Amino acid sequence: MMESVRETQKKYCSRAMTAAILIGFGLILAGQTPMGKGVILGTLFSVINFILIGETLPLKLGKSKEKTFFLSLGSVMVRNLLMAVPLILALKFDQFNLFATIGGLFLVQLMILADHLLSRISQTQKSQI
Amino acid sequence: MPYDLQTWIKVAAFAGGGLAMGFGAIGAAIGEGYTAAQANSALARNPGSVGTIFKSMLVGQAIAESASIFALVIAMILLFSNFTATSYVTVAGLLGAGLSIGFGAIGSGVGSGFPAGAACIGMGRQPAMSGRLTTNMLIGSAVCQTPSIFALVTSFILIFSDFSKVPVNPAWAALLGAGFASGLGAIGSGIGGGVVAEASCEGIARHPASVRQVTNIMLLGQAITQTPAILGLLVSFILIFKKFTATDAIAPGMALLSAGLCMGIGAIGPGLGEGIASSGGVRWIARNPAFTGTLTRTMLVGMAVAESTAIYSMVIALVLVFVV
Repeated sequence: MMESVRETQKKYCSRAMTAAILIGFGLILAGQTPMGKGVILGTLFSVINFILIGETLPLKLGKSKEKTFFLSLGSVMVRNLLMAVPLILALKFDQFNLFATIGGLFLVQLMILADHLLSRISQTQKSQI
Repeated sequence: MPYDLQTWIKVAAFAGGGLAMGFGAIGAAIGEGYTAAQANSALARNPGSVGTIFKSMLVGQAIAESASIFALVIAMILLFSNFTATSYVTVAGLLGAGLSIGFGAIGSGVGSGFPAGAACIGMGRQPAMSGRLTTNMLIGSAVCQTPSIFALVTSFILIFSDFSKVPVNPAWAALLGAGFASGLGAIGSGIGGGVVAEASCEGIARHPASVRQVTNIMLLGQAITQTPAILGLLVSFILIFKKFTATDAIAPGMALLSAGLCMGIGAIGPGLGEGIASSGGVRWIARNPAFTGTLTRTMLVGMAVAESTAIYSMVIALVLVFVV
């Protein structure tokens, strides 16, 4: 059960980090160092958040609806505290661009959406051929 | 002891940040909890599909959380930025920003949990359809985030615009009203969009052959379900960008605040109602794809009627802004 979750996490986390490093490197080369650093910082915390979602999944199963709700609320709160760290860093230090950091926080979700949409498009094209 | 402008700015930023994250966490937690509860049900029905169901739950929860991350972003900006303002209007702007994203994240968080939960149940029923169900769930959940993105945009405008040249009265009420219009207006559409996507995941799992029609009608239904949130955004933009003449009377300010509340509260029911109407269409198209045309027409008529109360609210909001 957890192997399958870890495989999914590995797939999307590695893609998000690779994308962040490539985008960040490109931005740094283009002279936009704070933006490049911001993307990488945001993505790093987005990856940690995604791993934590997976690790807390077994806690939510086999419980009543009320317990699941409160566990989810606690989990959201704790993970949001963690996600606040890159935002505080970006707000306090000029070396990280705030908007690039915000973009990085959503890179895992973007990778998930892009993966499914691209595979659906390629399947549709194959079926047409 | 009299407080200076900078103290009030700090008070508004802290209060706005607290409101943003406090309300913003509610929806995502309900959505995630609902997904987990449905995953339990799916696992009990089909323990053999545990890996697929768990993966779907993980991905669904990650998307459902986006709305609360929007709220977190605004809360952090409000708490840790140094706002230097020359007008008390900024106080209202910062509070409005917190209210907008705090309320705006509730619907999208709850709504995104519905398709994720239905996808888990569907995978328990039809493990062979897990790929299509995941894609459909992700599209449905992503569209559910749109109302919270509207609220996020309003919050950014309220935080980063320069209000130093606008008159304190009645602009303070207009900015608070903008927060209410955009934030409360997003609740119904966010949940309604989720109800539609849930019906679509359920339909695909029951009748895999109808996947193309179901996905198309789901997108149509979700697009129309977003209109009350768009009306909320429109009223909030009018409140933010309209030029008001300075006054000492309290009534013009109250009219603007009421305009925002009228549109925001008035958009909740239509968003939900349209989602319910559309979910019926999607559900029955999945069962009887041969009648897609008739069912879509009935669904659209039902949604148009449900939309009318949002239009009444918008008319009254516009009367409050332009006539009263």
